[in-house]
Amino acid sequence: MSNNTSDKMKRSDEPIWWGLFSAGGVCFAVFVPAAILFIALLIPAGIISTGAVSFERAQSMVFSLPGLIFIGVVICLPLFHAAHRIRHGLHDLKLGKERQNKIVTYGCAALISALALVGFVIGAL
Amino acid sequence: MAKPTSYFPELKRDWWLKHSYFKKYMAREATVLPLVFFVACLLAGLYSLLQGMESWQGWLQFMQHPMVIALNALAFIASLFHAWTFFQLFPRVMPLRVAGRTLPPNLMVLGQWLGVVAVMVLATWIFLRGL
Repeated sequence: MSNNTSDKMKRSDEPIWWGLFSAGGVCFAVFVPAAILFIALLIPAGIISTGAVSFERAQSMVFSLPGLIFIGVVICLPLFHAAHRIRHGLHDLKLGKERQNKIVTYGCAALISALALVGFVIGAL
Repeated sequence: MAKPTSYFPELKRDWWLKHSYFKKYMAREATVLPLVFFVACLLAGLYSLLQGMESWQGWLQFMQHPMVIALNALAFIASLFHAWTFFQLFPRVMPLRVAGRTLPPNLMVLGQWLGVVAVMVLATWIFLRGL
């Protein structure tokens, strides 16, 4: 017997978005606070000397394997988490159309992630 | 033609303002807005690093702007608020059993906060080594 019914049923893509949302949520909770604290607060406020992020040092930190991991856990995954929350927030505020919101939010997350990865590749080469 | 009727009452756009629980829910949804700002700063930093020393110095100065620091401070608070709500979900979604007994939820929440502290310690080592 063929499984005709399951062939006709459209597969939901929600597990993908939900998985990216969860993974991004873990990163947002565990890795992002430290990243903001050091990069955006302690160094700009002068509490940690800017020598910690001199041009050469920043280059060697970012364009390396740890830098790639950093881009993944602090830029790409949290972006998909943000896209999911913005998509549902728009729905809650009754703004836009569901399908269109989905394409724009996840599309932006994918585009910005791709930009970050392209930047990494240019710098690492 | 008769107006179509529904069993579900139409929700108004400000429904979430009516109860503090819903306001907290929307606040949690909004934590991603300052996060997006911080991520945009990082992306600008990445591309300024590609453009050379002067551009990188310019980015470091941009990060020192009081308005940028204020928005990033908001992002920092938002990330901690998100962490606080997110860590409470884990024991509910995936209760862990050790030696036949379910781990107390508070212990799992504490474990996750220890993870945050561990990442802070790692960041301290990364930024301060050799200075």
